[in-house]
Amino acid sequence: MTTLRLSGVSKRYGGSGGSADTAADAGAKAEAGTVALQDVDLTVNDGEFFTLVGPSGCGKTTTLRIIAGFEEPTAGSVTFDGESMAGVPPERRNVGVVFQSYALFPHMTVAENVGYGLRFRTPPAGTTVDERVTELLELVDLAGYGDRSPDQLSGGQRQRVALARALAPAPDLLLLDEPMSALDARLRETLRRQLARIQTELDITTVYVTHDQAEALAISDRLAVMRNGRVEQVGRPQRLYREPETRFVAEFVGDNNVFEGAVVDRIGTGDEGEGRASVAVPDGTRGTAATFELAGVPPNATRLGFCVRPGELSQTASQNRFQVSVETTEFLGESVRVHGRWNKMPIVLRLPAVPETGTDITVGFDPGDAHLFEAD
Amino acid sequence: MVCVGFRELLDRSSRESVNSAESAESAAVVESADSASSADRSTDEHPATKGPPDSASPLSSRVRTWLERHALALTALCTAAVLVVMLYVPTGIVFVNAVLENGRPTLAHIAGVLTDPFYVGVLADVFADPLAIGAHLRSLTGWVSAISVSLTVAFSVPIPAVDVTVPIPWFALSVPPVRQGLFGFTAVQAALSTVASVAIGLPAAYILANYEFYGRRTLRSLTILPFVLPGIMVAVGFYAMFGRTGTLNSVLGAAGIGPFAFIETSPLAVVILAHAFYNAPLVARVTVAAWESVDVRAVETARSLGASKRRAFRDIVVPQLAPAVLTGALLTFIFTFMTFPIVLALGGLQLATVEVWIYDRIQNLDYADAATLAVLETLLSLGLTYAYLRYESARSGLSQAASAPPTEPLFPDLRTALSPRRLAIAGYGLLALVLFVGPIASLVVGSVTDGGGFTLRNYAFLLERQLAGEQYQALPWPAIRNSILFGLATLAIAVPMGVVISVLTVRAGRSGTLVDTLAMLPLAVSGVVFGIGLLQGLVFGLPLPGGWRLQVTGPIAIIVAHAVAAYPFVTRNVSPLLVNLNSAMVESARALGASRFRALLDIELPLVASGIVAGAAFAFAISIGEFSSTVILASGNGSYTMPVAVERYLGRRSGPAIAMGTLLLAVTAASFVVIDRVGGRYEL
Repeated sequence: MTTLRLSGVSKRYGGSGGSADTAADAGAKAEAGTVALQDVDLTVNDGEFFTLVGPSGCGKTTTLRIIAGFEEPTAGSVTFDGESMAGVPPERRNVGVVFQSYALFPHMTVAENVGYGLRFRTPPAGTTVDERVTELLELVDLAGYGDRSPDQLSGGQRQRVALARALAPAPDLLLLDEPMSALDARLRETLRRQLARIQTELDITTVYVTHDQAEALAISDRLAVMRNGRVEQVGRPQRLYREPETRFVAEFVGDNNVFEGAVVDRIGTGDEGEGRASVAVPDGTRGTAATFELAGVPPNATRLGFCVRPGELSQTASQNRFQVSVETTEFLGESVRVHGRWNKMPIVLRLPAVPETGTDITVGFDPGDAHLFEAD
Repeated sequence: MVCVGFRELLDRSSRESVNSAESAESAAVVESADSASSADRSTDEHPATKGPPDSASPLSSRVRTWLERHALALTALCTAAVLVVMLYVPTGIVFVNAVLENGRPTLAHIAGVLTDPFYVGVLADVFADPLAIGAHLRSLTGWVSAISVSLTVAFSVPIPAVDVTVPIPWFALSVPPVRQGLFGFTAVQAALSTVASVAIGLPAAYILANYEFYGRRTLRSLTILPFVLPGIMVAVGFYAMFGRTGTLNSVLGAAGIGPFAFIETSPLAVVILAHAFYNAPLVARVTVAAWESVDVRAVETARSLGASKRRAFRDIVVPQLAPAVLTGALLTFIFTFMTFPIVLALGGLQLATVEVWIYDRIQNLDYADAATLAVLETLLSLGLTYAYLRYESARSGLSQAASAPPTEPLFPDLRTALSPRRLAIAGYGLLALVLFVGPIASLVVGSVTDGGGFTLRNYAFLLERQLAGEQYQALPWPAIRNSILFGLATLAIAVPMGVVISVLTVRAGRSGTLVDTLAMLPLAVSGVVFGIGLLQGLVFGLPLPGGWRLQVTGPIAIIVAHAVAAYPFVTRNVSPLLVNLNSAMVESARALGASRFRALLDIELPLVASGIVAGAAFAFAISIGEFSSTVILASGNGSYTMPVAVERYLGRRSGPAIAMGTLLLAVTAASFVVIDRVGGRYEL
């Protein structure tokens, strides 16, 4: 299949070289600012399910549109298997695209929609157009829906038709732009599993764009967190979850408690005490601060950020204890998510039992459970 | 000879669009055959997607592929060529006449017009000496201080035969006379027409948007009809309605009043009413559209927050209606500023507007004066058009309402039918009947009556003229045949032009406004100016380098002139639909392998088909009714159309002209019925 590489891709709007494809986009982006992407380097491996995730306006959709060829980068290059895509129009890139709005052609039946790409590309060897359409509709569990009109379908069905349509010409790359965001939560989960199954079955290189970090963690082989037109961090879901490299990633991926402070004291020497230090952390009020003991502090660090996941804050931990007043609780079944405050600073906990709202509880964490990153 | 050259160009442009559509099909076939022969290629390389076809493939298929890929650009190029040759060059020639004297550039003509009180009235002094601000201010204050307001209690209502004086408190406003000049008068009549159109259009919008009654939808779509009625026909209709022997006088005469010489005594009022006949439906139309897109939940929210019904209307509904009303008013002003056939037929030279005076100057072969006036008039209307388009594009973000306001039955029962509001509506309906149905009905009735009795004499005259007419006379059948043929040919040119311009400007985003304005030039250039330009430039012929002459004459000139006048209506109908089309649709098609042109054919055009059909209806109707440039281009040959024939029959007796006008009405109405069956959605 295909390895996709983006090197040094930048995109500016309003200046020269920007080709706004649609009026709506041109308007929105000219207002939003001039730089949409800054020096994006990404490699998506053959057969990989790769996700671009970030808040709205971070540049993830622009990246996808540049890959698809709907927009040309202002600088940098896009290559498919080492072949440069500069100046190659979308119809010659052999990519399958599914949009958030599905963009089904309302004047064609489901089968005509799925078969549209086969007017320009031949179906894979040994199949006719009709066979290919039937095959794809079966793949997305819509066998027998070929004669319907798109407006007779539910949202989830439309989404699957759009997927089948994108896959019918056997594209080298599958690009998905927030394909689930118009669906309700339960349907989204079902379709997510179905998408993962189809992706694995076809072994097709896939780029998926979403703003939902939980979805990104659940579905991806690897993902890139984007912010303000830059890539913050790329990696496997577990790695991004456990070892965020920036404060932004720490806050964006999963529930987290993010602290920042100054190194005040180095503790211990030798193998055992290596990297242990006391860090003074403000708790949101002016002046007062607590001092936490952390492990693995780099030798020359003076300021650093660190995060502690809700599950790692426990009432039984003996170190780094502080008091949290309980504000709201959410019962999740096996555990309870607790939102509270340590003085002014919001804290999220995961406890086995529901605490009384308004009470104070004391929690702490083990020095080794905090993950460290560079302060902003 | 160059006439042939141009014909060829036209031919080629239409052939090209056909060819490229074909080539799209055949290119796909060639490519699949190509890939079948090389089925042993590695599976990850999809043949159809890689590069141009192999060098082994025949030349013709490569040409086709090339054509398909550049089809959009080629069509755009042809459109630009038509616009340059048939629009910009002719108007340019007119404009050049204004600033050239014996081959030397001069501003003397423009300065002459601007400082002549006959043209610009009191402003002549200002233009003559713009720096004498003190003197101008003094004369202004002198004029303002001469205004006097007085209150009287008695105002005599001039009802003849009754002759009573009803005591009504009345403000008498005495304003010292101002010399308006030709431009001033044109602007004043346009402003009065605009006020009248808004005043008559708004109640109609109110009724159409808020009440449910039998035929509401039909009435709503009928509001488009007056706009496409030929001006000359409406003028004849107003004669038949308000003339000395017209329907209104017959009705009043039956009641023992009259007869009144409406047109002779107050031609300005009748002209303004005729303008309202055209433009009040336009105002109503845009206002109803805005009213129906008001989200009723916004009003309900305001009510729940404590606003009274009246207050919610003022705070929520009015701000959303105001832009639409303004749009309608602005368009009305532009149209009535350039009015021609109505004023010419109903007012004559005593009510000369700029346009009529230009026509008169040309009749007297005074081209320099005509051109100078045309330049000034076009600059004014182009400025207004630009303002309108800017305004429209700023507004285009408004979305359609999720839930439109509810309507209530107009006459649910007898008791409500007698409420003051319902009585007012009934009164308005009567007025609308006189103003809108009257002229058209009078036209039809007038064609088969003669001094009170039924007669077919007028049609017999047409038949007789057809059978025994002389060569130099306008015959009815050729006029009808020409009108229909020219209309169809106009469609064939105007629809592709309009669609291409829509596609290009919609995609250009905001920077498209200027392009849009240039493309909308036909709206801002009056028919008379356009006609002169065509006559002077293309009919007389333009010398080209190398001893060639660019000359377009006869039917071709008329058809292209009609197409140039008509395509803006295609664009205006297609553009809104294209803007609303999800851009992801085209992008999906392209990602699936369709070229830009193919995506246009497969996806966009089918989805905006209703707009294209509606635009085509307009184009046909505009062609059928076009008078100003046709009357200039058709002079001296056989290619006259129905409106020209109406004008030629308008001589001694009005009967034959009314009969011809009725035929014109029938053809126009039939074309709209046909289009309506096909399923168009009219927009303006």
